[in-house]
Amino acid sequence: MTQGITREMIQEKITRFLAQVQKPGRYIGNEWNAVHKDWDAAEVRIALAFPDVYEVGMSHLGMRLLYEVVNRQAEYIAERVFAPWTDMEQRMRAERIPLFSLESGQPLGNFDLIGFSLQYEMSFSNLLNMLDLAGIPLDAAARGPEDPWIIAGGPCAYNPEPLAPFIDFFLLGESEEQLLQVLALVAEHKKKPLLREDFLREAAQLPGVYVPEFYQVTYKTDGRIDKIERKVAGIPAQVQKAIVKDFDAAAFPERPVVPYVEIIHDRMTLEVMRGCLRGCRFCQAGMIYRPVRERSPETLLKQTEALLQATGYQEVSLTSLSSGDYSCIQPLIGEILDHYQAQGVNVSLPSLRLDSFGVRLAEQVQKVRKAGLTFAPEAGSQRLRNVINKGVREDHLMEAAEAAFRAGWSRIKLYFMIGLPTETWEDLDGIVSLAQRVADLGTRCGRRNITVTVSASSFVPKSHTPFQWEPQDRRESLREKQQYLRDKLRDRRIKYSYHDVPTSFLEAVLAKGDRRLAEVLRAAQRHGCRFDGWSEHFDEARWLLSFQEAGVDPEFYAYRRKDYDEVLPWEHISCGIHKDFFVTEHRRALQETLTPDCRGGTCSGCGVCNALAVDIDLKG
Amino acid sequence: MRLRIEFRKQDDAKYIAHLDLTRVFERALRRAGMAMAYSEGFNPHPKIAFGSALAVGVEGEREYVDLELRFEQDPVEVLRALQVQMPQGIRLTEGRVIDAGMKPLMAVLNCARYRLSVPSSLSLPEERLSRAISAWLERTQVPYLRFTKKGRKEKDIRPWVESISGVMEAETVVFQLEINISPQGSVRPEEVIASLCALENLPLALDELRIQRIGLYVRHGEDRQPPWRIS
Repeated sequence: MTQGITREMIQEKITRFLAQVQKPGRYIGNEWNAVHKDWDAAEVRIALAFPDVYEVGMSHLGMRLLYEVVNRQAEYIAERVFAPWTDMEQRMRAERIPLFSLESGQPLGNFDLIGFSLQYEMSFSNLLNMLDLAGIPLDAAARGPEDPWIIAGGPCAYNPEPLAPFIDFFLLGESEEQLLQVLALVAEHKKKPLLREDFLREAAQLPGVYVPEFYQVTYKTDGRIDKIERKVAGIPAQVQKAIVKDFDAAAFPERPVVPYVEIIHDRMTLEVMRGCLRGCRFCQAGMIYRPVRERSPETLLKQTEALLQATGYQEVSLTSLSSGDYSCIQPLIGEILDHYQAQGVNVSLPSLRLDSFGVRLAEQVQKVRKAGLTFAPEAGSQRLRNVINKGVREDHLMEAAEAAFRAGWSRIKLYFMIGLPTETWEDLDGIVSLAQRVADLGTRCGRRNITVTVSASSFVPKSHTPFQWEPQDRRESLREKQQYLRDKLRDRRIKYSYHDVPTSFLEAVLAKGDRRLAEVLRAAQRHGCRFDGWSEHFDEARWLLSFQEAGVDPEFYAYRRKDYDEVLPWEHISCGIHKDFFVTEHRRALQETLTPDCRGGTCSGCGVCNALAVDIDLKG
Repeated sequence: MRLRIEFRKQDDAKYIAHLDLTRVFERALRRAGMAMAYSEGFNPHPKIAFGSALAVGVEGEREYVDLELRFEQDPVEVLRALQVQMPQGIRLTEGRVIDAGMKPLMAVLNCARYRLSVPSSLSLPEERLSRAISAWLERTQVPYLRFTKKGRKEKDIRPWVESISGVMEAETVVFQLEINISPQGSVRPEEVIASLCALENLPLALDELRIQRIGLYVRHGEDRQPPWRIS
């Protein structure tokens, strides 16, 4: 499809209809701070591809970070590409326009590499669809030396197996240093080309590089995995993630692209820390980003100044997995406000710590109490919160809610999960009574127009967590629980929202899937599945048809409890945590025992610091 | 200090939607270190007000915006500093300090001129072109069917069209169009040309229509002025 099509031809065709598609600003690629380099002079060109719409992809910090890290190197080019929205895709297919990068408008096939960001399983179909739109063969085996290397990283690369046949190699872990090593290798390879296998073998020597075709997976007659074996010599038996050792000194995007269209997180972003101190047992991010490393307030203030000058944004978001736990959070907010409040700059926090300290921080940053506050107790009873190692008690929540009502808020959102391991009806009753107690508290505090929103998503077990052996709750059961909550939460002050069950089911299947799911993905792309994370586009019937055609039973992946000694599809992929730790944590979960976080000096022995030779780094 | 700026919006910038353009100016002002004046209230926003909205995909030769800054500054300096921070395609061409009491652009601009060029799919004698235009202009009513989110709606577009002229440049027809703008609304230039094409049977390749707004004016009778002096 891309044969002989130049950027000029693409440009000419696009011009004819661009004004007719929704939000053309998504596709013009000429935004403030976009980097335009001399295409012909570059040694290596990579397209950073985000398999979702522009507004989502542009909000992603990792994408901004890698874009800048690569473009700071004179000899490399990084350009951006997102999944075109369905109206644009339709026009592109009708006009035979291959997917192109935003900056230069080059067809993706002209790049040396395409690097996909894997943030959530529901974007997998978009990845395949983007390759198809680019006219690049989906299968690595069908691609030749003239095709780009298709690589992928991000949290879903920790269980990359459903994508194994499509991706040449995955990047595990933190890529800001690792990606440059990969590009240097590609540059060398372009000067002195190697055979595909020889190149990949060299790539596999780099930290966190996983080449799926070098590993052979065999299955038992009952469908479980028998063995995962290396097919070639000189590659690791288990690939371990790459990590940035000195996070405070690590690269940071200071000139992010400022979009024309409004994006989801349309603001400056400061990454105050990486990793999370808390060890919630359902949370993959809390495991795979270990150990926790903080940035110093001095560094962050310098970054704020640079960002402000380069972007002109008026809001700075202090992001991390749990910014309320950043040890210097209060002085940092104070300093940013002291310096920049006069210029109309405000601060936002993406998540709130569930205590009165969290509310004090919210008060500090939110002068107007118009937006509500969100807390995440995650489970309705103390018993179940112990199971998931969410170390908060009901009195923490009540204290936080009271502080919020007294400070003038009247809208509170409580975030829960249903279908957690060991859950009973009493735990659901706990959700109801918590919501009611919060609402009553608001009334007692004299707030009018109280709204307590109960948002309950369905638990999806993920790889590299203590719950990786757990099945997902069955669809019938989740629906019944949703109905139960809907019936019980009949209070005009309480609103209840929940997630689509089939979407969570598919997410579980893909999150715990193995290589045999690749056939399902291939069929789904053919049937037109894309934007599965968008309820208006998710089509359960097409997915079920795809499972049927591929001869794959989705329930085998979502609903089966696994033994500790079962070979997991991601057995050969490590985030630095011992499997023994996950086993211990799973057992402690079933005993309803809490495991303290790393802060108090009691090490729970997850093993990541030793495995990666990195230490916890707290600045406060 | 109130500042009225005339600017061009062309190339890729023509795809910046009207609502997004406010943010483009706001961020450019902030990058340029300008002290913007903000509206009062719970959710203050910078005082940036445009004249008439320019449709996505249409280039603007002379567009206008009013800004309010907290301090008196040399308008030439402001323009220079702001231009450096503007995305490619937006060119600030003139800026003048205006009275605080001057009416907003929205209230005074009542007339827009467009240039539209469109390839002719068959050879088109100029005489036939001018006959078609005269015939269209002689109509007292021109119903036009609009498709909106609420469904189909028929509207008489004739009252909004002040004048049309057309010349052939090689295989391309170049129209000049003058359109009235009022608080009750207006007509889109492509609607006028589409209607002309349909009602008077002109063989034009409408999907290749290129539209430029040449200017916005304050009209009193036959007099058309840019919005500098009128208050």
